[in-house]
Amino acid sequence: MADETRVSVDRDADIVTARHKGRELAVEVGFSGSDLTLIATAISEIARNIIIYAERGEIVLSIAQRGGKRGIVVVAHDDGPGIADIEQAMRDGYSTGKSLGLGLPGARRLMDEFETVSELGKGTTVTMKKWYG
Amino acid sequence: MPVPILKQGNVLIASIQAALTDRDLLQFRDELAERVGRFRSRGVVIDVTALDVMDSFATRTLRGIAETTKLRGARTVVVGIQPEVAMAMVQLGLALGGVDTALDLEEGLELLEVQMRESGNRGG
Amino acid sequence: MPEELGTLDPYLVQVTDYDVERRRTSVGLRDDDVKRILAIKELVVQHIDAHADAFFNFLAKLPEAAGLFSRPDLLAEAKRLKHEHVVAMAGGRYEKSYVEQRVNLGLLYSKAQLDPRSFLGAFHTLMRSIGLKIAERFAHDPQAGFEHFMSIERIAFFDIGIIIDVMIADRERVILLQQEAIRELSTPALQIRDRLLILPIIGVLDSHRAKQLTEGLLRAVRTNRAKVVVMDITGVGTVDSKVANHLIQTIAASRLMGATVIITGLSAEVAQSLVTLGVDLAKLNAVGDLQGGLEEAERMLGYEVVRTGQAPSPRL
Repeated sequence: MADETRVSVDRDADIVTARHKGRELAVEVGFSGSDLTLIATAISEIARNIIIYAERGEIVLSIAQRGGKRGIVVVAHDDGPGIADIEQAMRDGYSTGKSLGLGLPGARRLMDEFETVSELGKGTTVTMKKWYG
Repeated sequence: MPVPILKQGNVLIASIQAALTDRDLLQFRDELAERVGRFRSRGVVIDVTALDVMDSFATRTLRGIAETTKLRGARTVVVGIQPEVAMAMVQLGLALGGVDTALDLEEGLELLEVQMRESGNRGG
Repeated sequence: MPEELGTLDPYLVQVTDYDVERRRTSVGLRDDDVKRILAIKELVVQHIDAHADAFFNFLAKLPEAAGLFSRPDLLAEAKRLKHEHVVAMAGGRYEKSYVEQRVNLGLLYSKAQLDPRSFLGAFHTLMRSIGLKIAERFAHDPQAGFEHFMSIERIAFFDIGIIIDVMIADRERVILLQQEAIRELSTPALQIRDRLLILPIIGVLDSHRAKQLTEGLLRAVRTNRAKVVVMDITGVGTVDSKVANHLIQTIAASRLMGATVIITGLSAEVAQSLVTLGVDLAKLNAVGDLQGGLEEAERMLGYEVVRTGQAPSPRL
């Protein structure tokens, strides 16, 4: 079992790869059933965001531990144009025209922790975590 | 990876396999639209049993397919959404809008039959 | 169904540098101790077979330890590890890798269903075996002998701390799994008619239980090919907006699987309070009491049966 898995994302086929790897790692953490689907879906959303807005980026999957609990950590990073107003992007229904923009707020609803760091012209890093047990 | 589309009378049945890329999905959309037109199909069943994830893109695309086929005179039913997928969709806030859903292929065909009979009767 | 005890899961017990340091401090391990242990290292290793045998002979007599002896593969592994263990105990290096080895040993004992009491008894016997040899060697200076023994005893307690922690963590894991299993059993879906399920819910509906309930309901819809589910919440303690939202989500998810959910048992008072909390009651699809709900469900399904020359009424 590797400590972390990196998936480079620059074609739509990579979205599928990212969710499969994410699902595999989630199984190792101990997740099952609907949680696996939630995690895979959240990964799918942010992976697609990378393709749509930045064309290419990387997703790093790893297992974390905190106070006896295990969790999965997903860090999605791209060097794209960045998000000008994160708050606005995190609101449901916000659209840049390229998509319905359900990506970020939707993914946040599925995970336990969710953080977006982004600056115009400096790329975006989304970190999300889900804890087991 | 093409999506197999079968013709059963005036209904088209498509089974989506798992791990379909965005491009595959869009290609499927176009092929389906073409066939609905070619065969003048009255109904379409899209079976997503094998889909392990239904994200916003997949949902949007399915809604779009339903709208397009409707314009060509066909009703669409999505069948086979699995429990975990249904839960994730709801939590994600995804809705299939006006697209009909049914448990499986059998139910889906039955639903289409009822609908086609209705609209047939209405037509005179 | 709870899994077999002790799947080799290296994350059960924290093994960080901080944790190792904390454990060393809690048994009072000091540099003097390490020096003394190294001084008797040869002595311990020389009689290693006697020490390991003492441990396993003690266990062999206990019915509680039958689990370990009924698994020759685990027993062989345990003996091998025990040898390694004793050598390491006198090795003088008690860092992360040492702790990790102890954790693995603990997991093995857990897997063999060895209980803490038996383990402690056997370990005591092993230490006694070591102690006797030390006493022999230091017969001319019992005080020094005692001090040397106390030093290596610190390591014994260091080890015991780790192994007990692992056994406890593993047992807690099993208990958690058992609780899950019980919870699942306590919300059965009843099929009373073709395509119709009744799901009576009793007790507190927290987020965790609601999720389980939804999962169970959706699976029951799939298994029973249900078209209508009557979910009775008369027995649910508090129905606040959170619970209401869980129910609304369950209804939405069911619809995606082609099933309609009817909520019954929602009292007028609760309905009113939900409205004031901003819940869209229409989305709850509530119908008075269970009886009313069943009638509504049958009405819905009844339309399936009508097959006259006329078109059936609109399907839901």
